[in-house]
Amino acid sequence: MAIPLPLLILLAPALGALVLCMVGSGRDALVRRIAVVSTSVSLLGALLAIMRYDPAAGGYQHELLIPWITAPRVAFHLGVDGISVVLVLLHALCAFTGVLISYAIKERVKEYYVFYLLLITGVFGVFLSLDLFFFYFFYEMAVIPMYPLIGIWGSDVKEQGVVRFSKEYATMKLTIYLTLGAVVALFGLLWLYVSSGAGTFDIPELQRHFALQPLPETLQRWIFPLLAIGFGVIAPLWPLHSWSPIGHAAAPSAVSMLHAGVLMKLGSYAIIRVAIGLLPAGAHAWMPVVAVLCLMNIIYGGFVAMAQKDLKLIVGYSSSSHMGYVLLGIACLTPLGMSGAVLLMFAHGIMTALAFAIIGAMYDQTHTRYLPELGGLAHQMPFLATCGVIAAMASSGLPGFANFVAELLVFLGGWDAYRLQVVCGVFGVVITAVYMLRFVRGTFFGASKPAFAHVHDATTPFARLPYVILIGALLIVGCWPQPILRIIDAGTRPLMLLLSVPQ
Amino acid sequence: MNWAALSVELAVCGWILVMLTADLVLPTKHRGSLWALALLGIACAAWLLAQQPQISVAMPGMVIVDPFARYFKGLFLLTVGVVIVMTRTSGRGLPNTGAFYILLFTALLGTLVLASMRDLLMLFLGLELLTFSLYVMAAYLKTDSRSVEAGMKYLILGSVSSGFLVYGIALLYGFAGSTDFSVIRAALDRGPWPLTAQAGFLLILAGLGFKVGAVPFQLWVPDVYEGAPTPVVALLSVGSKMAGIVAMLRLLTGVFLPAQAVWAPLLATIAAATLLYGNLGAIPQTNLKRLLGYSSIGHAGYLLMALSTGSPSGSAAIGYYLLAYLFSTLAVFLVIVAASQAVGGDRLDDYRGLSKRSGFLAAVMFIGLLSLAGVPPLGGFVGKLLVLLATVESGRLWLVAVGAVSVAISLYYYLLVVKRMYLDPPASAAAIPVDGLTKAVLAALVLGILAVGIVQQPFLRHIIASLP
Repeated sequence: MAIPLPLLILLAPALGALVLCMVGSGRDALVRRIAVVSTSVSLLGALLAIMRYDPAAGGYQHELLIPWITAPRVAFHLGVDGISVVLVLLHALCAFTGVLISYAIKERVKEYYVFYLLLITGVFGVFLSLDLFFFYFFYEMAVIPMYPLIGIWGSDVKEQGVVRFSKEYATMKLTIYLTLGAVVALFGLLWLYVSSGAGTFDIPELQRHFALQPLPETLQRWIFPLLAIGFGVIAPLWPLHSWSPIGHAAAPSAVSMLHAGVLMKLGSYAIIRVAIGLLPAGAHAWMPVVAVLCLMNIIYGGFVAMAQKDLKLIVGYSSSSHMGYVLLGIACLTPLGMSGAVLLMFAHGIMTALAFAIIGAMYDQTHTRYLPELGGLAHQMPFLATCGVIAAMASSGLPGFANFVAELLVFLGGWDAYRLQVVCGVFGVVITAVYMLRFVRGTFFGASKPAFAHVHDATTPFARLPYVILIGALLIVGCWPQPILRIIDAGTRPLMLLLSVPQ
Repeated sequence: MNWAALSVELAVCGWILVMLTADLVLPTKHRGSLWALALLGIACAAWLLAQQPQISVAMPGMVIVDPFARYFKGLFLLTVGVVIVMTRTSGRGLPNTGAFYILLFTALLGTLVLASMRDLLMLFLGLELLTFSLYVMAAYLKTDSRSVEAGMKYLILGSVSSGFLVYGIALLYGFAGSTDFSVIRAALDRGPWPLTAQAGFLLILAGLGFKVGAVPFQLWVPDVYEGAPTPVVALLSVGSKMAGIVAMLRLLTGVFLPAQAVWAPLLATIAAATLLYGNLGAIPQTNLKRLLGYSSIGHAGYLLMALSTGSPSGSAAIGYYLLAYLFSTLAVFLVIVAASQAVGGDRLDDYRGLSKRSGFLAAVMFIGLLSLAGVPPLGGFVGKLLVLLATVESGRLWLVAVGAVSVAISLYYYLLVVKRMYLDPPASAAAIPVDGLTKAVLAALVLGILAVGIVQQPFLRHIIASLP
């Protein structure tokens, strides 16, 4: 094949954005078609990449290396291992369905899709980069388009008609939090680069270098928290999470999908790839702290989600609660826990994207997300209500869905190291069930309300496509997790080797 | 005397006379096209610069041409070229543009001399040529009290700083017996550094600190930026700051390198104070030009941060940072010039809904501001990254922390401008017309920002090869 897969995946949305800039204004149908084409190319590329990934061989595959800067040595190095290839697929799924969901956007369509495709490009870049320079480059590039996307096309978070958070506030808070986290991480990255003495930003090369000459343990203990906190902001690690629920709530639904579905995973992925992959001794020293903090994520986030009345805030807080499981799985530093964490990133990403898509489709017609005002929508939109129930079941970790498998792995992996956290984490599943059932009951069930008589369901196959894709992915992985787990395992195995080396 | 090595300076001198004559001879109705003649002069000077050999001595011990000088001379010519395009658009606001162009060329001459100087007297000559022209240009709108105020403030504080500079030069002359860089360096290498020479060095640093807007000599910046005509502010922001940094780079890494232990901690402290002052001060501003004034103080902080490392990688970072800063700042100011007539003022609120009135201008401003904030894939990001990297290498980690946090602070106030342009509704729905030349120059500047941000290697290689 002429074009390496990672390049194809990365360039398709970037070129799409470039082409959109040249399209004349007012040609909305063409704009949407270009966005669909470019994201579907990425999706096909991601599917091919995961199908062609050889778990038996493991390591980095589909690599592409173009020397970029000679001093300091930087290379445009793309490639995937078992962890990132799964996350690339997650992002491709969310991006493609997000573009379909974005058909609801009616104003300033061209600008919207330009920013949206730039966001997609940035996130792909992070998952595909194997060079710290480009890793950070794409990471920061993914943050900035959020500002206009939420600020222009978002909506204020209201309670009984009173604005609780304006979208301007939400988007500024989000951007500043994430940038502040990014620069703290950058500080750590530069410190790591300089003290390595290897003179390269290439991640595999740095790993080989550290295998021979590990960084002194005290230095690792200093640099690790910078990376963990910096990337932890986006993960979002408690107590740095407060930007995320209101950011999710204010964003337009397709952006919430990407945001909760994929962007938060950038943080946990960066912690795995960079912080643990390059500083194993630092990870051993600091992970007990992270394990305590993510317990706060699970329990505190869950309780706050229970108290919310805005649907998007419920799902927003639930995301930060569920990311606690991901971080707990990572903190275990065991093969089971790590694989569970990666699978949970995938499962939670798809589930949250589904939930935000449903809420968005509902909000477009009801113009309210306030739980006490909703109810009985299953009468008007049976298909969406079914999808909503499925999302709630997946979120609560019912068997048959990918979330169940992933959470089980996290609990099993963490049992030896963090028994208290696992017990509390299992309790967190009960909290999830409570607020998800409240969401389902308050929104879909009950008597039909006359105010929503005009509401209609997603009826055409095209309108149903995004939901079908997402639910399909959840069920396939949930009922038959073995193939994807084999791939993830190929990615976590070398990490475990690294961690087991006595420092 | 090597006349060929002085060809660029001589051409600029000659063009001053050409502009003067043309201003006298041309009938009034053709005066409007003087800008084209001025641009032609810049083009000639740029062509001559390209013809010069890599290294030559123009006046022994006084002026040399080396790759370092040629690199920055190219940037100065580019800056003045874009400023001329700005005067053309805002020409209706500027009376008697002929005289303005002459001042612009004398300022350019000053910067060219600065890039090539090998002697403290040439340093003084170059700086004064530049600042004297800027005094007049800042007060150029004689009927606008804010412009006159800006010129007056700049003049008073500027002449005090020139006094510092001259006094410092005198003290150093007393120490080394010469104003020649190589003689001073030899005297420094020989042995102990008397207090008078240290005082002289500090006074020179203070004089230059004024030009770049470093704390504690930064107070003039916001007032002058607010009042002076926008093309002059662009020249101040890019040309004057670059000239000050170039002079510092020559002095610190060339002459005073043996005394690095003295000036490095001092510069690091100044850099941190400048970063925080500029970036925190910009937050509450309501006037766009004033905000950019504070932000330009912040950028001076990054440049001083890189200077404080005293290492080759720090110097390369400065070269890169200035290149990205030039493209981004000029793009922002050109948008301000192009939009100012239509939006009716420089207040932030005047830019409400700009994206609906001119999507192109708003997009360029967006890209320019984000590049200044240091967002990839734009040039400013690479500049900041190199500065931070050089500072980490120098081991001053607390300064890196200040610089890194400042990135996030600066993003906040730049986004406040973006919020006005993209999120808020416009005051008037009328579209803003942009003429072809402005559009082309803006597009070229944006391309420059992107090129510097994405394909770093050719630029970086050229800059590293140009280091003194």
